[in-house]
Amino acid sequence: MPLHSQSIARRLSRYVLLISAGMLLFTTILMGIFGRRAIIRITTEVAEKEVDLVAGNIDMLISEVELAVGNVDWFVQRGGMREQFMYDATRELVMSNPSIIGSAVAFEPYYFQGRRWFAPYSYIEKQTGEMHTIQMGNADYDYPTMDWYRVPKLFDRPVWSEPYFDEGGGSRRMATYSLPLKDTTGTFFGILTSDISLEGMSNRLKRITPYWDSYAVLVSARGTYIVHPDSSMVLKHSIFDTVSQMSDTTALTIAQNMLNSKKGSVRFHGNRNEDYFGVYRPISNGWSILLVNSYDSVFHYLSIFNVIMAIMAILGLIGLYVGCRNVIRRQMMPIVEFTQVSMTMAKGNFKARLPEVKRGEELQKLRDSMAFMQQSIREYIAELKTTTASNERYESELTIARDIQMSMLPQNFPNHPGCDLYAMVQPAKEVGGDLYDFIDVGDRVFFLVGDVSGKGVPAALFMAITRAAFRFIGALGLPINEVVRRVNDCLCDGNTNEMFVTLFAGCLNTSTGVMEFCNAGHNPIVIVAPDGSASFLRAKPNLAAGLFERFPYEAEQIRLEHGSRLIVYTDGVTEAERADKTQFGEQALLDWARKMNPSVSAKASTLDLYARVRHFTGDAEQNDDITIMSILLK
Amino acid sequence: MNVTITEEGAKALVKLEGRLDTTNADQFMKDITPLMNGTHEEIDVDCTDMEYTSSQGLRMFLMLQKNVSARRAKLVLRNMKPHVKEVFDITGFSHIINIV
Repeated sequence: MPLHSQSIARRLSRYVLLISAGMLLFTTILMGIFGRRAIIRITTEVAEKEVDLVAGNIDMLISEVELAVGNVDWFVQRGGMREQFMYDATRELVMSNPSIIGSAVAFEPYYFQGRRWFAPYSYIEKQTGEMHTIQMGNADYDYPTMDWYRVPKLFDRPVWSEPYFDEGGGSRRMATYSLPLKDTTGTFFGILTSDISLEGMSNRLKRITPYWDSYAVLVSARGTYIVHPDSSMVLKHSIFDTVSQMSDTTALTIAQNMLNSKKGSVRFHGNRNEDYFGVYRPISNGWSILLVNSYDSVFHYLSIFNVIMAIMAILGLIGLYVGCRNVIRRQMMPIVEFTQVSMTMAKGNFKARLPEVKRGEELQKLRDSMAFMQQSIREYIAELKTTTASNERYESELTIARDIQMSMLPQNFPNHPGCDLYAMVQPAKEVGGDLYDFIDVGDRVFFLVGDVSGKGVPAALFMAITRAAFRFIGALGLPINEVVRRVNDCLCDGNTNEMFVTLFAGCLNTSTGVMEFCNAGHNPIVIVAPDGSASFLRAKPNLAAGLFERFPYEAEQIRLEHGSRLIVYTDGVTEAERADKTQFGEQALLDWARKMNPSVSAKASTLDLYARVRHFTGDAEQNDDITIMSILLK
Repeated sequence: MNVTITEEGAKALVKLEGRLDTTNADQFMKDITPLMNGTHEEIDVDCTDMEYTSSQGLRMFLMLQKNVSARRAKLVLRNMKPHVKEVFDITGFSHIINIV
């Protein structure tokens, strides 16, 4: 029995487990979706802030340089055209601005004191950190033909050069800010430059690493890499070299936007379909910063978090399952006990003690209903015992009634010298309404076969009256129709239930073979001649007895050959039914009579006909009382 | 056994179908009780589809006949099948019940 509760506990726990797991999975998926979105938004914001910070720093640096150069411009114009002042101005610019590593004032040919080239230049030497000041213009270095000089002059505005590698005094990567110089009349007279080292930029950008594989690039206004994690790319390649090799066109858009000084945050894919997001910000001088982060690194932490979550969820579910099972099993204990009580009850002990239920309304109800069931069954059994007893009494009374009825029918058949007579009755129920009788009066034999309407006890009572009447009246030796008349009158007296009985009464003179008979609504009897030919004796039907008092029953007479046989029967023979409701019938009776050995005894022929009828009906329940009487006239 | 009773003025038309035997004789009795308590001048029984009657069935007809006679009404049984009619003939009921 405990096995059952276990299986229920296990099953219920499994349902709980499934539902919990389902809900957990659902919330995890929701959390995954929203969490991912939130993480994307947060990481984008973090990246944007970092890039903004660095871009701001670089912007500030650029502004400082531009401002410093602007201030010197003012001094140069007001300082008069003194040579030493020009040298000092470049030195001052470099010295007072840590970000400026070199500065020059380059004059238009022949403008400064009629000199062809005059360009004082101060710079900090990379190796020693010492400042040198030189005049760099000469025939070999004809600066007015150079881009850093010509471009700002041409555009008539300050210009930042493309980054370049300086092989002169600086020997490093740098970019140069060139400001056109004009006098008070607005006439162009030279260029003031400041160089900034790009090494410092790269250090600044390296600090932007919100995620472990983030990297930042700085590109010039034309897209050339100023800073790139791969230093071999710097100054040699532009961002377009990179994006032209990428299948995702978003990368190209990013590059174009950067060159157009736009800002943005965009998601794009690498050539191996890696997921990246890029944040780009313009610098005031036309440069642009791009921070690239891979989502793999962003979600790396999320993945670890998910694995931890999953392990915790599985542990939680196992705990839930075990806990559920134990709790349910404990809760089921009373049911196990109820089951045991049920088994005890099934074995017949209806007084088995029911388990006490402390809590739980349902179990209390179960206990109440089981208690009620015990009570009901006990009462029912008691009632059943009474009913059975009364049924047994009724049945035993019926058995006694049957014995009494059967004993009314004579069982001692006369060993008569002139005839052989045998008869039998087989009631359909315990008692029946068929009867036979015979009275041996010397060489005359009175005989009677009757069939009371209906069956059972009412028919049996009426049969008893009929038989008593015939026994009394038949013994008087009256003519047979008079016997039937008196029996009829006797039966009509007080017959309020309209019961009736069909009778065939005969008086056979065994020496002459003459038979007087009176048929009161009975089936035609069969006469089998000594040669074996059989036929029905079509007698005047008169009327069944018990219906109308003083009905004038008429007698008829027939002479039988010696060796003839009479078969008297009730309709239980001809109307015996099989399961398919077909009846034995008169023809079958005649056929049987014709095939019979004419010399066989009365008893043998009686039992043979009965056997034939029962064979015909097979398993079907007997539907009417069967009576057969056979008389062989010797 | 199926009993259908229709009325046509003072005449009751009864249609009998099937077998009338011990198992349904009581039901038949209940079915015809309204006729026994009624005031019909004629009870016309159509036996076209009647397949069988037992002696218990005959008793029912007899009771109906006696009831009808007592109030000077008429009972007629019509179109009876030969093998059913034979039962009425053998028992002599043909003498006391009008079968046409």
